[in-house]
Amino acid sequence: MPSDLKLMNRQRDGGDRVSKKTGRVWKFGDNIPTDQIVRVDRALGSMEEMAKHVLENYNSEFPKKVQKGDILVAGKHFGQSSGRAVAPKAIKATGVGAVVVEYASRLFYRNAFEVGLPLMECPGITEHVSDGDQMSVDMAAGEIKNETTGEVLKARPVDPFLMEMLEAGGLIEFGPRIDEWKA
Amino acid sequence: MNMIEKILAKASGKKEVKPGDVVVANVDTLLLHDLSGYITANVFENEVKKDMRYPERVAMVFDHHFSPPTQQRAEVLERNREFARKYNVNLFDCGSGNIHNVGVRKGFVRPGTIVAGSDSHTPVHGTMGCFATGLGNNSNAATVMAYGKAWFMVPKTIKIELTGRTKPGVTPRDVALWLTGQIGEGGAVYRAIHFTGSFMKELDVWDRWLFPLITIDVGGKCGFIDPDEKTIEFIKQYTDQPFEVFTSDPDCEYEKVLHFDISNLEPQVAASPTLGNVKPAAGFAGNPIQWAELGGHGGGRLEDFRQAAQILKGHKLAPGVKFNAVPSSRETFDMCLKEGIVEIFHQAGASWFPASTGSNQAINMGAMSKNEAMISTHARNFPGRNGSPEAIMYLSSAYTAAASAVKGCVADPREFLEVL
Repeated sequence: MPSDLKLMNRQRDGGDRVSKKTGRVWKFGDNIPTDQIVRVDRALGSMEEMAKHVLENYNSEFPKKVQKGDILVAGKHFGQSSGRAVAPKAIKATGVGAVVVEYASRLFYRNAFEVGLPLMECPGITEHVSDGDQMSVDMAAGEIKNETTGEVLKARPVDPFLMEMLEAGGLIEFGPRIDEWKA
Repeated sequence: MNMIEKILAKASGKKEVKPGDVVVANVDTLLLHDLSGYITANVFENEVKKDMRYPERVAMVFDHHFSPPTQQRAEVLERNREFARKYNVNLFDCGSGNIHNVGVRKGFVRPGTIVAGSDSHTPVHGTMGCFATGLGNNSNAATVMAYGKAWFMVPKTIKIELTGRTKPGVTPRDVALWLTGQIGEGGAVYRAIHFTGSFMKELDVWDRWLFPLITIDVGGKCGFIDPDEKTIEFIKQYTDQPFEVFTSDPDCEYEKVLHFDISNLEPQVAASPTLGNVKPAAGFAGNPIQWAELGGHGGGRLEDFRQAAQILKGHKLAPGVKFNAVPSSRETFDMCLKEGIVEIFHQAGASWFPASTGSNQAINMGAMSKNEAMISTHARNFPGRNGSPEAIMYLSSAYTAAASAVKGCVADPREFLEVL
């Protein structure tokens, strides 16, 4: 983290608001491509319409029953394939409060923070939670707790640059605050 | 430092960068296609609301559509054209070719530069000695369009050294498909991959192209090949603009080094649902196919058409098989005309399509029912990208695609080639 980005000492406002989440787990498998998060023929439509169909090929109940603050859990290489940011945007639009995966594709990872969707990578997560469990996520502490079983897991730390971006609400809000863009 | 670290350091005004650093770097080229261009344009106008800083660096290529199939899609393309006119960005309309091929052939890709793109296969431009990677719509709209910059985390680098020579009937694409399986999906997440070795050195540039192309699908951020005289000569065909060549220091550090001798490799096929599901063609031999296609981000090259023509010459497609020939650029089609390849394909029963990205995601062509299967030179075989999630996509060399089209099922091409 280079000091000239002048981010380290910036006042964090509302950090806890974005970084702590509790909700019901919706669990998915490995290698889910963005094409199946939002099908390409819907990617040019309205966000409202995309959100109604998110991941429906894997679990048709999910887009119908997901509640605000629920947590999406998935396996390896989540969000592989096309790098359209509409995939994390549509997940965010369903009200999902956080995504916790074994690991994400690089572009999905980048896009999630850029659109303000909290994302954590936690190796082993899929073995320790079941669909329907209650789970808490503390991004700042890098801690995940399965409230149903009481089990606590450690997640990979998130770079401070990305935490700042998330707390700002995404890149569009965060970008203009960095002097380097304008130089 | 290695090649991409040097490029990132220069573009961010630093003497040195190391893996894990976050830098804000100047972006030299932004490549958008008709789908991502539309989404990016909407984010730029509706959310970012700033001026376009460097319109001359932005190229939008309509490659998923060559002829809009619905009114809605026609309106998407019209909106893109209006956006391009309003902000004075470069537009390559329907029929120009695949985004990445057009990007190279129109001079947007030069060694030593940073190429960003909305298409996830943008790392392919690491072939030309660039730091090239895919960015999301928000980066492209909010920072590349508005400021000519983007944020990057400097990745750790894996070195892959390929040695040996392929057997007759085995192509660089077979090597790339096999290598994808060796690295594994997710085997290089967030990493840069430096492709080296005597095998890479001997390849021509359009064959080297097939290696950085696989980077995204093994989870990587970028792939690259240090530019040499071949690269420089190649790029000078397409641009008069000066460029600075960066190469990796001989003692630069790698996270790991993998070495493969490819001398004994057989023709390879990767079948749905993932690229990791790759085996020698013999392992899928006899599986029926109804479609074959040369096209896509890595396919539809002149090299592909030449290979397939060797097999199609004097043969007919098997009953029930349809063969889509999709050139990657107008220049490629022109060469196919001059070399008699257009005629050979037509006589065999294949159909020529406009220069485009072909059946990629079945936007304009290439949807399948749940009972159908295609063999192609495309880059991906994930479920649901070509119609039914139950349809099967086999990825292979042009030789194997053509041999399979003649037999009506997946086939090892060597029975059609006079090789021992």
